[in-house]
Amino acid sequence: MPNMSAIVHPQQRHFNPYAENGGTILAIAGADFTVIAGDTRQSEGYSIQTRYAPKVFRLTDRAVLAVNGFAADGNMFVKKVKQRLEWYKHAHAKDMPLRAIARLIQTMLYAQRFFPYYVYNILGGIEEDGSGAVYSFDPVGSYEREACRAAGAAQSLVQPFLDNQIYFKNQTAAPGRSHPSHLPLPDVLSIVVDSFTSATERHIEVGDGLEIYIVLAKGRSLQGVEGLHGLRELSTQEDGERVFVLQRDLKKD
Amino acid sequence: MSQIWKYVRVTPSGGRVRGVPARSSTTSISLPGTPDHLSSQSTLILRFVMSIMEHNGGSVVAMAGKNCVAIACDLRLGAGAQTIATNFEKIFPVTDRMYLGLAGLASDVVTLREKFRYLTNMFLIKESRPLEPSTFAHLVSSTLYERRFGPYFCEPVLAGLERTPSGSYKPYIVGTDLIGCLNFAKDFIVTGTASDKLFGVAEGLWEPDLEPEDLFETISQTLMNAVDRDAYSGWGAVVHVITPDKVITRTLKGRMD
Amino acid sequence: MECSFALTGKDYVLVAADTTSARSIIKMKIDEDKIKTLSPHLLMAYSGEPGDTVQFAEYIERNIRLYHIRNLYPLRPQSAAAWIRRSLAESLRSRHPYSVNLLVGGFDTADQSPHLYWIDYLGTMATVPYAAHGYGSYFASSLLDRYHNPDGTLEEGLATLRRAIDETSKRLIVAPGKYMVKVVDKDGIREIEL
Repeated sequence: MPNMSAIVHPQQRHFNPYAENGGTILAIAGADFTVIAGDTRQSEGYSIQTRYAPKVFRLTDRAVLAVNGFAADGNMFVKKVKQRLEWYKHAHAKDMPLRAIARLIQTMLYAQRFFPYYVYNILGGIEEDGSGAVYSFDPVGSYEREACRAAGAAQSLVQPFLDNQIYFKNQTAAPGRSHPSHLPLPDVLSIVVDSFTSATERHIEVGDGLEIYIVLAKGRSLQGVEGLHGLRELSTQEDGERVFVLQRDLKKD
Repeated sequence: MSQIWKYVRVTPSGGRVRGVPARSSTTSISLPGTPDHLSSQSTLILRFVMSIMEHNGGSVVAMAGKNCVAIACDLRLGAGAQTIATNFEKIFPVTDRMYLGLAGLASDVVTLREKFRYLTNMFLIKESRPLEPSTFAHLVSSTLYERRFGPYFCEPVLAGLERTPSGSYKPYIVGTDLIGCLNFAKDFIVTGTASDKLFGVAEGLWEPDLEPEDLFETISQTLMNAVDRDAYSGWGAVVHVITPDKVITRTLKGRMD
Repeated sequence: MECSFALTGKDYVLVAADTTSARSIIKMKIDEDKIKTLSPHLLMAYSGEPGDTVQFAEYIERNIRLYHIRNLYPLRPQSAAAWIRRSLAESLRSRHPYSVNLLVGGFDTADQSPHLYWIDYLGTMATVPYAAHGYGSYFASSLLDRYHNPDGTLEEGLATLRRAIDETSKRLIVAPGKYMVKVVDKDGIREIEL
């Protein structure tokens, strides 16, 4: 005789394929450079899994991708994007242009429309015309080119700050003057650092470390930031676009 | 935060059973203690009504400066997504050097304003001495805690200048949650539907020892940029800057979307 | 479904409410007056849970009247609205809260100014130039926002009110058929045919 009570009361099994791993990413485009940054804390609930899990990745000498959300999906997605870029290079003997990478990312995300990569992507780099560009995506591939964008756990803290400091929202220019459409690199770097120290102060999922990628347009010198402590070059060629990375500590509490 | 959830069970005939308690927030669950023939045929639909604290919208922020404090609020009054009024101030004077901001359920905002007006008047009649911010903060706290298990859905922010024994004034800002847990801050206090945005902007813009005019600019920029990213707050703002000898009150125009 | 509208103009307040009384899908009555005259210069349109509405409106009506009898002068609109709001706010935390939404419009004879208050069952009160309750509010508020003139004549106010009502009749599936319109100004209260 089977145990009837087990039949009478059906039990439900549940598996949740997603997790939320905290952290925040941010990108700002300049006239001839782009800055892409992310913190390095990876957490689940109140537990910190690691204090150093990169969320920002160099794709080519002119493209950097930041991924935030479910870390496993994020890492897998970056891996697949890199693979597609390598195939492209083998086929065409050149790196894929930034706007093409943006469209590729849309296609790859939408391909998973009914079991999405649970990640918010921000792609930054240099366009073919030499201008700095930021593309931001939702998990299923809607995207838009913008001048700046924050995403992740502290998006609601950082984005209104960027509206104010990058877009000069709610600010009136002095009579006869106008607001600059692009800020110089040193100003952008200090806004990025301030955004992350602020987010670290008020959001528990943000902190530990900060990785800032800087992509410079072809022929643009490091003017103004060459003396920065710990600046490391990642570019493969010296005469094209150049990629640098800066690491900074954030509070660990 | 406290949320009202309305549970509606739709039976196969289309008749609806209201107020069925549920223990899970999934969209379809079987009911505890419901006969099998019923739970297998009926679906429990959980309809999200909305959080009481967000029903009317609105935000308040207070900041400390050098020998001055500032407090600001937006002007929207909504009923969910619908905007009812764009002249709803959430900050009220308590004394010449102290203002109280109330964000949350608009009904309780008015009820508490009236209650605190009564209580401060009674204090002045009985004690015949000035009401200091530190005293009033505890009055606010105990008034809210009195309703510990059926709270007023308001999170007050108090900004004022406290008189020191030497006769000078020192900035005093404090916030509480809806049951009166005091939060003494030396920099700024935020509350309301745009509180997370306010935290981010304030943390980036605020600095110690701001003079009244600089503090006005800081708190105004903080509030305006935060509420512009919040659908439930906005439609202009009111800013009060309290200094030892005067209160500067300004009304700001804002985005109307 | 129940709809009520109100707007202020130069020295007057217009209050309109539908006149249907319905239970479920049945129209029980089509000439129900849902605008109470609280005092010589004070109107209150009420809507909400059947039963609660009349019970609450009559309670308010008799108490405002009592104030008038005791003091020989009526409560001013500001004070009356504050007291009505308080009654609803206290009711909200009682065992049987009233589900009643109100539009209180009055003319203050002391300073010759029109006043309008939007009050809901939670005890929320807003001082407004124009207001609406019910499904009609989704159609009327944008129109009132566009066409309302705080210094408009009674004719202009009626035209704006007619726009709001016409739009509601045109677009709302469950629109009420008939409205009662009342105006309060320095001469007191009177009903107006739209």
